[in-house]
Amino acid sequence: MSSTMNDSENKPNIGAMEARSGAILSESRISIRNLDFFYGTNKALKGINAEFPNRQVTGMIGPSGCGKSTLLRVLNRMYDLYPGQRATGEVLMDGENIIAPGIDLNQLRSRIGMVFQKPTPFPMSIYDNIAFGVKLHEQLSKAEMDERVEWSLTRAALWGEVKDRLGASAMGLSGGQQQRLCIARTIAVRPEVILFDEPTSALDPISTLKIEELIDELKRDFTIVIVTHNMQQAARCADQVAFFYLGELVEVGTATQMFTAPAQRRTQEYITGRFG
Amino acid sequence: MSATAADAMMAGPKRNAKVADALSRSRQRTNRIIKALCVTATGIGLVFLFAILATLLWLGFAGLGLSVFTESTKPPGSHGGLLNAIIGSLIQTAIGTAIGTPIGIMVGTYLSEYAVGTKLGDAVRFVSDVLLSAPSILIGLFVYQVLVNPFDGFSGIAGGIALAVIVIPIVVRTTEDMLRLIPVALREAAVALGAPKWKSIVMVCYPAARDGIATGVLLAVARIAGETAPLLFTSLGNLNWSLNLGRPMASLPVTIYQYAGSAFDDWVQLAWVGALLITFGVLALNILARFVLRPRA
Repeated sequence: MSSTMNDSENKPNIGAMEARSGAILSESRISIRNLDFFYGTNKALKGINAEFPNRQVTGMIGPSGCGKSTLLRVLNRMYDLYPGQRATGEVLMDGENIIAPGIDLNQLRSRIGMVFQKPTPFPMSIYDNIAFGVKLHEQLSKAEMDERVEWSLTRAALWGEVKDRLGASAMGLSGGQQQRLCIARTIAVRPEVILFDEPTSALDPISTLKIEELIDELKRDFTIVIVTHNMQQAARCADQVAFFYLGELVEVGTATQMFTAPAQRRTQEYITGRFG
Repeated sequence: MSATAADAMMAGPKRNAKVADALSRSRQRTNRIIKALCVTATGIGLVFLFAILATLLWLGFAGLGLSVFTESTKPPGSHGGLLNAIIGSLIQTAIGTAIGTPIGIMVGTYLSEYAVGTKLGDAVRFVSDVLLSAPSILIGLFVYQVLVNPFDGFSGIAGGIALAVIVIPIVVRTTEDMLRLIPVALREAAVALGAPKWKSIVMVCYPAARDGIATGVLLAVARIAGETAPLLFTSLGNLNWSLNLGRPMASLPVTIYQYAGSAFDDWVQLAWVGALLITFGVLALNILARFVLRPRA
């Protein structure tokens, strides 16, 4: 096993993982029961059952097209934008099935935020990018809004770089700064869960490192689900790792267990770089 | 040549230098012919363009003076100006833009954001495109039948509305095109923050498409500023000073139409001045659209 791991270019850093304090998973924040998902008639997720532990990071890995991003988009009902996409089963948050009809989607999305693959700053000032989401759900005074903007930018490790140009267009920031702005924008709404869809795949290594440190820091307050193609990233960031293949959840466990002693042969083959 | 080429093929992948040379020469000959044709055609186009511009500048500047902007049209021989026509054109163009732009933007938004893949959306898009290329005299006749004939007759407001009908399909097209250029991720990002659809359109998509839509509106203004046919049947033209929207109203294109064909030298002169003014106005709008409001990539 270990010799196979050494042969792989994509080997996770086992030492760092074992040093993690969050090896034991906390209670579940979101529970998924028998979830099926359809793009038209094409079944993209098959009978998914999973728990996302509270205030910990769940990393979702697997080859392209295996359904991990699809699952992420189920959690905040993003698929509702597109007719023909539907989910069956249960996704429970505080005992409520959030994929049931009749759920207030705007409110749900304020509780479950999302950061996308490519930075998506809005064509407005840095300040307004943050204020946009907050104004949707809260009525704050100017002073309170200023405070919220500073708080979220500080949490996103961006305050120092932009505090003197909050009125400048967000389009002028670098890619890494834009992505941290998107994270700030998401946490400014004060969600309970944050979904990251390959948040660093469009970024350089330094920016990637900053975002990963940020995720580690954010999990003190938020439950985090991150989709990644990068096995080392999963090993660095995640407390729990879920491996998807062809629309099925093959295996889920603590990061240490998944990367050192996976129960399934397919998991082992994937994380050691035999396919994917 | 074909026989040698065929032999070369039969012999396998050997290179026949003679055939290659011949083919190369033939390609270069064709290239020169095509290039010469293109350059000639461009030259012919440019000759006409410069001939028109030169005539316009020569005859237009000859009659340009302060009185053009300070006096209204007057009977032949009494050296009037174009003030009533300039103001009339500005008013009717403003009415057309003010009515046509919001309707056009909303229809374009409907097509891009709400009616994707629906039959109604396809039908609206088709009708709008037909309207885009409809002869403008038809639009003039339509407004004549609907607003002029049944009411008190020709009026400035009817002229403005006829121009609005021309503005709408232009703005519909650019609005839809510009909104479609906005990445899906940007819309999803707004929705993911809990924004309702209308808010993501108004507060995120419109600002992102602002320059493109503004360019479309400017080009629509440039188009209607020079339209004559829709005004002939609606605002008719007025030789006297009038700001009454319920009465016939003068405009530059209609004044040019009436004066250019007249028998009086000073009227013909004023027609050229009017043409010069419209040309410069439209040119300025085009430059503004091209350089100031260049759509973002």
